[in-house]
Amino acid sequence: MSTDWNSGVWPDWCPGCGNFGIFTALKGVLSELGIRREEIVLVSGIGCSGKIPHFVKVPGVHTLHGRAIPFATGIKASNPDLKVIVHGGDGDLLGIGMGHLIAMGRRNPEILVVVHNNGVYGLTKGQASPTLQLGKKTKSLAFPNVNSAVNPILLGIASGYTFLARSYAYNIEHLKACLKQGISHSGAGILEVIQPCPTWNNIVTMDWVEKNTYYLKDWDPVVKDDEDAVKKAQGIIGIESGEKKALGTILIDRRKDPFGKRLASIYKHYAAEPPAAQEVEKSGAPLSIDLEKTFQKFYIP
Amino acid sequence: MDFNLIIGGPQGGGIETAGMLAVRALAIHGLEVFANREYHSNIKGKHSYSHIRASYERIRSIKYPVDFVGALDVETIATHYKDLRPGGILIHDAALLDKPITKLPPMEKERLERLKAELERDNIGTTVKELDEWLERKGKVILPFPFSEIIAEKTKLASPMIERAMNTAMTTALLRGAGMPIDTIFEAIDSLFMEKADARELNRAVANAVSDGFDELSKTKGSVTKGMFEKGPSRGKRMLVAGNDAVAIGKLIGGLRLQTYYPITPAADESFVIEQHSSLFGPEGEIVGSPIVIQAEDEISAICMAIGGALTGVRAATCTSGPGFSLMVEGIGWAGINEVPVVITYYQRGGPSTGLPTRHSQSDLLFAITSGHGEFQRIVLASGSHQEALEDSLKCMNFAEKYQVPVIHLLDKGIANCVTTISPPSLGRIDRGKRIVKGAWEYSRFAFGEDPVSPRAFLGEELMWYTGDEHDESGHISEDPENRRRMYDKRMSKSEKILKEVPDGDKAVLFGDGDFEDLLVTWGVTTGAAVDALPELQATGSKIAVLQVRMIEPFPVDLVSNYLSKARSAIGLEANYMGQLAELIGWKTGLKIKNRILKYTGRLITQDEVVNAYMRVKGGEERVILTGGE
Repeated sequence: MSTDWNSGVWPDWCPGCGNFGIFTALKGVLSELGIRREEIVLVSGIGCSGKIPHFVKVPGVHTLHGRAIPFATGIKASNPDLKVIVHGGDGDLLGIGMGHLIAMGRRNPEILVVVHNNGVYGLTKGQASPTLQLGKKTKSLAFPNVNSAVNPILLGIASGYTFLARSYAYNIEHLKACLKQGISHSGAGILEVIQPCPTWNNIVTMDWVEKNTYYLKDWDPVVKDDEDAVKKAQGIIGIESGEKKALGTILIDRRKDPFGKRLASIYKHYAAEPPAAQEVEKSGAPLSIDLEKTFQKFYIP
Repeated sequence: MDFNLIIGGPQGGGIETAGMLAVRALAIHGLEVFANREYHSNIKGKHSYSHIRASYERIRSIKYPVDFVGALDVETIATHYKDLRPGGILIHDAALLDKPITKLPPMEKERLERLKAELERDNIGTTVKELDEWLERKGKVILPFPFSEIIAEKTKLASPMIERAMNTAMTTALLRGAGMPIDTIFEAIDSLFMEKADARELNRAVANAVSDGFDELSKTKGSVTKGMFEKGPSRGKRMLVAGNDAVAIGKLIGGLRLQTYYPITPAADESFVIEQHSSLFGPEGEIVGSPIVIQAEDEISAICMAIGGALTGVRAATCTSGPGFSLMVEGIGWAGINEVPVVITYYQRGGPSTGLPTRHSQSDLLFAITSGHGEFQRIVLASGSHQEALEDSLKCMNFAEKYQVPVIHLLDKGIANCVTTISPPSLGRIDRGKRIVKGAWEYSRFAFGEDPVSPRAFLGEELMWYTGDEHDESGHISEDPENRRRMYDKRMSKSEKILKEVPDGDKAVLFGDGDFEDLLVTWGVTTGAAVDALPELQATGSKIAVLQVRMIEPFPVDLVSNYLSKARSAIGLEANYMGQLAELIGWKTGLKIKNRILKYTGRLITQDEVVNAYMRVKGGEERVILTGGE
């Protein structure tokens, strides 16, 4: 079954790249979703991670640096039947595209954003990315990093995301579980995947991950009510302030309406016929619109 | 009959509503109307005004000098007193008479210095009263009208309410002064405030009070109310629209289903109109269509969302102005290499950078055709009137899907904000372009064929890939040189197809006789001033015509060359510094347009300016720079 999800394009990542783990887990999950491949759309940004749609046998939209989220939002809002998943790197989503990441949390569309977090800009030879810790010097840097790292999980909370999780590129089963949960969630999600870059990041190695991460236990990510939401937020700040990175599902908040529902609340026609389901012509003629009724205020009495 | 009036006051003081009321009343009166709105990038306090022109004939521009100036404050008097024709009428509140003319904190200091110099030069004095007297000596008619007093007396309204309705009071005075019956003004009030009963009653009461007061006043100044125009003929159904409205209506008729935008002047109103009319009603009152509008976090997001929508098969568009378009450029390149039908409505304003945010300009023609790195096919269509803007909005969506290219609908602040009477649109045709035919074969989004346009499937229908990288037929990244050449050719050769198939009327339009000697070459809203000026120019004995270029990219070289080669002398007319269209014509056709009439003050080119500038060109001036308007 799994070979069926290969597009046939040769994945040109470096040997040992964490992207292979994400690729494998993704294919595994897609085969378990039980939907037609044409109904899935992978939308990606620029960088090594941005190439992933080409390797998977589902429709793929490889966009601009940092802009996968707006493309995905336009696709999902126009055709809510599509399952839309965004892939991007930490530089892409948390650097050049961070404004869109925040805006997506505010809208809460049913889209999962998979952050391939390797701490460097790989395809341009290893410059510091927004998740590289302050003072760290990876091998291609001339000087230690002078910027503090951003935390996508905390950013996700502040922006209004309703699903947050962190996983590890080489733990395929864990990653699959997180992906599946995130893809099925009805709202905006961030799945941060810690992904070693064997070529450029000599700090976040498999060994480092081994020593600096742990799997969340006894943490219930599901928000029950408003009071619980405050407790969860405080709990998450606690988790994220720890020395080690927590792996697992961190937040599931089903209280907020997804973007589609919000649109349906203002556009009465949206739920029955979203834009992609609407005809706009009949044999070449525009729909028979009653112009005087529709555009009444522009007519001179 | 050619009636021009200016009504001005502080921004936020209801000038826009006053203008709308006057325009509506004139239209109801059976006249054709064209009105310009000038305002600062400011919410309250700075000077703004409407210049309204009415005629029995359809008009497309404004003209100076004006018959009336209605001033809601001293700054309007100080700014526009020179705009009056001999015998023209100035109306202001009598309470302003003793005010100093030069104590105007909101006025920009350069303007104030010029004003002071003029007042001193002409020995006018320093109060409104002294200015009025000077104007009377110069043959103007001054009507200081005790608005507040009369309204208070006749309506018993409290003074804050009177203050709120001062715009309607002034409009009523102006229109009554020009001879319009009060019932027509009532009708305009009812229609403007259709959905607001309170405002309707207030404005009716105020208009009534002013009208009565005006009738009493006119007994002493009999000549004033003789009337400047009769009721116009019955004209059948007409609409009254700003360019933003016209485009919104055109897009809605044309099947737009996703509009994205980030707020910017002078484009944002268009999205607002689409939102307000998002229920399209069929003949039985049922909803036959309903687009959605998304306010994006920035213009990059706006264009990318629209592209995303287009990939799902939705007719998608965004609208913006120069600063927003600058941000959109990366998205347009992506749409170019991926052959995405997306429409960008581009209202030019004064640049560079923030420039003149609320003022007119035609300085982005070259940017619109060259924006984006690399080479890719696009269509740039420039409308020259509101009627065209409406119909072109539908055409742009057809072109986008038929040729699978991004389409830039190039407009300007003049079209965006000017309000005019138009005919209700004919619905036109919708052409969704080449669609996939289901078969046993594997679908390739960018399949090579005789036709550079490949059959289109939407996301959700077939397997397909898109990438901003060069790609193969299925949409996967390919750097193979042979594939590169073929894909490049596929995209670029669309220009020939477009030029072959698009009718001439969408490329360039000639106004006037074909046996011209002089040719005014223009585009955008400026076309209106040139076309309106044409009879006057012809009356001077010149064999002159106007050529409006509509399709800027791909450029209709043959058609434009044909016209130009017949001209003894060609004159470029446009609102920018370079003469961008003239430059482009030189580049594309090899035919040099030596004479240029240009304006870059941010104000519209007016009919009278075209006439004067043409005379100057005939007199030997190569480059005429226009400066009219406040």
